[in-house]
Amino acid sequence: MNDMTPPTREERVEKLKGLGCSRKRVEDVRFTHGKGNYVDDIKLPGMLHGDFVRSPYAHARVKSIDASAALALKGVVAVLTAKDLEPLNLHWMPTLAGDKQMVLADGKVLFQGQEVAFVLAEDRYIAADAAELVEVEYEELPVVTDPFKALEPDAVELREDLHGQDSGVHGKRRHHNHIFLWEAGHKEATEQAISSAEVVAEEMVYYHRTHPCPLETCGSVASMDKVNGKLTVYGTFQAPHVVRTVASLLSGIEEHNIRVVSPDIGGGFGNKVGVYPGYVCSIVASIVTGRPVKWVEDRMENLMATAFARDYWMKGRISATKDGRITGLSCHVTADHGAFDACADPTKFPAGFFHIMTGSYDIPVAHVGVDGVYTNKAPGGVAYRCSFRVTEAAYFIERMIEVLAIELGMDAAELRAKNFIRKEQFPYHSALGWEYDSGDYHTAWEKALKAVDYEGLRREQAERVEAFRRGETRKLLGIGLTHFTEIVGAGPVKNCDILGMGMFDSCEIRIHPTGSAIARLGTISQGQGHATTFAQILASEIGLSADSITIEEGDTDTAPYGLGTYGSRSTPVAGAATAMAGRKIRAKAQMIAAYLLEVHDGDLEWDVDRFVVKGAPERFKTMKEIAYAAYNQAIPGVEPGLEAVSYYDPPNMTYPFGAYVCVMEIDVDTGTHEIRQFYALDDCGTRINPMIIEGQVHGGLTEALAIAMGQEIAYDEIGNVKTGTLMDFFLPTAWETPNYTTDFTETPSPHHPIGAKGVGESPNVGGVPAFSNAVHDAFRAFGLRQVHMPHDQWRIWKTAHDLGLHG
Amino acid sequence: MEMKDEVRIAAPRERVYAALNDPEVLKECIPGCEELTKVSDTELEAKVVLKVGPVKARFAGNVTLNPENPPEHFSLQGQGSGGAAGFAKGGADVVLEEDGEETILRYEAKADIGGKLAQLGNRLVQGTANKLAAQFFSNFAEKVGAPQPEHAAQEQA
Repeated sequence: MNDMTPPTREERVEKLKGLGCSRKRVEDVRFTHGKGNYVDDIKLPGMLHGDFVRSPYAHARVKSIDASAALALKGVVAVLTAKDLEPLNLHWMPTLAGDKQMVLADGKVLFQGQEVAFVLAEDRYIAADAAELVEVEYEELPVVTDPFKALEPDAVELREDLHGQDSGVHGKRRHHNHIFLWEAGHKEATEQAISSAEVVAEEMVYYHRTHPCPLETCGSVASMDKVNGKLTVYGTFQAPHVVRTVASLLSGIEEHNIRVVSPDIGGGFGNKVGVYPGYVCSIVASIVTGRPVKWVEDRMENLMATAFARDYWMKGRISATKDGRITGLSCHVTADHGAFDACADPTKFPAGFFHIMTGSYDIPVAHVGVDGVYTNKAPGGVAYRCSFRVTEAAYFIERMIEVLAIELGMDAAELRAKNFIRKEQFPYHSALGWEYDSGDYHTAWEKALKAVDYEGLRREQAERVEAFRRGETRKLLGIGLTHFTEIVGAGPVKNCDILGMGMFDSCEIRIHPTGSAIARLGTISQGQGHATTFAQILASEIGLSADSITIEEGDTDTAPYGLGTYGSRSTPVAGAATAMAGRKIRAKAQMIAAYLLEVHDGDLEWDVDRFVVKGAPERFKTMKEIAYAAYNQAIPGVEPGLEAVSYYDPPNMTYPFGAYVCVMEIDVDTGTHEIRQFYALDDCGTRINPMIIEGQVHGGLTEALAIAMGQEIAYDEIGNVKTGTLMDFFLPTAWETPNYTTDFTETPSPHHPIGAKGVGESPNVGGVPAFSNAVHDAFRAFGLRQVHMPHDQWRIWKTAHDLGLHG
Repeated sequence: MEMKDEVRIAAPRERVYAALNDPEVLKECIPGCEELTKVSDTELEAKVVLKVGPVKARFAGNVTLNPENPPEHFSLQGQGSGGAAGFAKGGADVVLEEDGEETILRYEAKADIGGKLAQLGNRLVQGTANKLAAQFFSNFAEKVGAPQPEHAAQEQA
């Protein structure tokens, strides 16, 4: 009979839905049914609502705050100012970058939208009305929004609280608006290489200020239970455990009495890594009133006050031999950090991992210096779908390669291939100190160029230029190339920490008697699909179907300590912890199986979902049987139960890479563009769920499209945020989003337990230069070297105009 | 934000100039003006309700007049604060040219706006400012231009 036939090995593998399976996302059932549970869905009995009075000025003294009219409004409970927080020493808070930030304006405001007072009311509408009734008297001060002007000798001093301090946590400050100078590489050797080179290309590459703009804005609900002394905080936290530690250190409440919960998070992209004044104010207000307090910002507040990304002015020089071998690379960055240094980088790296800027190329010497500068702009500097300034670095090198190709009169694809790190050079030690784990760039590159018929495209482009010159067309063709190398999975505890917490991550597994399981991790999904993919990792490790494994994250009372989800670190670090914890389960299961089968441990071998006696395939115990045995009988020398926990400290970062080609049509007269083709080849090592990878690539490319083609946080000279609403801040819809073709190669990480590298950010890191290079490439024949992003319609039109293409 | 325009007013220059310095006339012509008080010959205080898109706020501010070359030319500087809605500050140069019995008024104004007002995007603000300016001058031309004995009587009173 058919149902008596034991399943084949292939059928058993398939049933697990483990590594490599395009398993459907288990999260989507609740999301598509409208049953997600976000911070704003949390409603607690007696809950109050907070709203901020924010500064309309970018730089001003706060002369007085009069809350009497607000307090007179029915339903208003309190209005908090810095004066109220000062006795608790909470009017300022530490940032993740070793600086401090005002929670509420303490004497002055330093950027438009800065939090000045916190209004507490019975409902959200009353709070908003009352915020408008708070009268704040300001005295305007000169505004600096340009980091170069901020460093001029007579520039106004922004941070008076740091007056006279000539050093900060990252070293010497050489000017009152200077934060740090951070350097890597060999300056003299690099200067030597560049000054003696046959060819040098020099360019200023600006990566403009933008914003992650997640669909769900930031918010928190704090609830202080005065009877048992427990504080519970629900919030949009990408790193809930770190938030608990910080909350404990700031409030003095012991850490075991604080529970931090990240419920469903509607997109993070780095925006929800930082600690915001709203979180602090909701917590303080709840401690003071003994009632739950909710704070949820609106879209304008999100765009103008929570963490921005990028704003890097990168002055580069790249040198090469006449035949195109790169001999040196130098970069000086003027980094606009805004009013407070609130970047979320590992402590030792105030410019993040920007020194991955040698990219995919074997460059013998390099040097980078980054000057951090204060301006009258919002604080932040988070990684927007990238690991710690990696996207800035990738954009920089991929632009410099293009500029060098122009200088050499060489094809940009050929120049790249000529300088790639070769397969046999891995593990590769870069000139700026990284050890690249694995890669096969030439294979990926050739596959990509072949897939798009690169030579055919170049022929078409040359014909198009001729036709344009003959006046037969007004459209140009741009071919945007990128070969990026990412650095993700932060990171080894020996050199990566956030506020002193090593950047390990964790997984704790409990196998239930009937052969299902729950695994809890120190990370938190914001749309990445952790509940789907981590169950797959575990399924392949422990031989239980992914469908029988619950993944839980985000509750600090139940999950093991971890550093959270950002910088594509979940799979490289928590994914590794999951595999390692799974292996501990398997090791114990092997002992149990050996006892049950009455053989020695060493006589067993693992086979998909069971331990089999070597040479006797009919004698085996499945994981389900073993799980039951772990709970229902006494096994000599073995504790009951089947649980494991692993804290994983990665030995190295992982280095995903990819080859992207964007083919773009540009209308010279209107400045509009059309993306005819976008080919994205990603190598993220072992592929856990190809469907989720594809989704990540689509999402990341669309955000890259947004950044490259229109999205920015722009300020005018008096410090107004000019892009504070979605009317001006570009978020692509289905209308603007092109079709993508995804592809892959698979070069596993040698040091990761399952060889996975992480993929969530690759498409953003590689996508931005691909789109931007396509715009530049379209105009290369007409003499364009460098224009700044975003390449919106007006700027493209202006580029064409400045090149004299409008006749 | 910059605005530049010229308006023809059917009244002699002296009368136009006098009206531009008359708080009562200005109060009636400025859209949304609730109060306009003369503090001195060259200083005014005003309260104006402004609505730009979704932002509506009461602006309190002051205006200083510089009668450099009456009745041909004068300039003014002003600033106002609308609380949470933002602030505005700026100035204008006004030139009055005689054209028979009529007057051509040319103005060039420059304003900086901040806060929520500015964040709504320059196109909305510029459009609203242009509309308000047009409304002011149409009110003004109507009031000052046509012969209005009742009004003149009121002024006398």
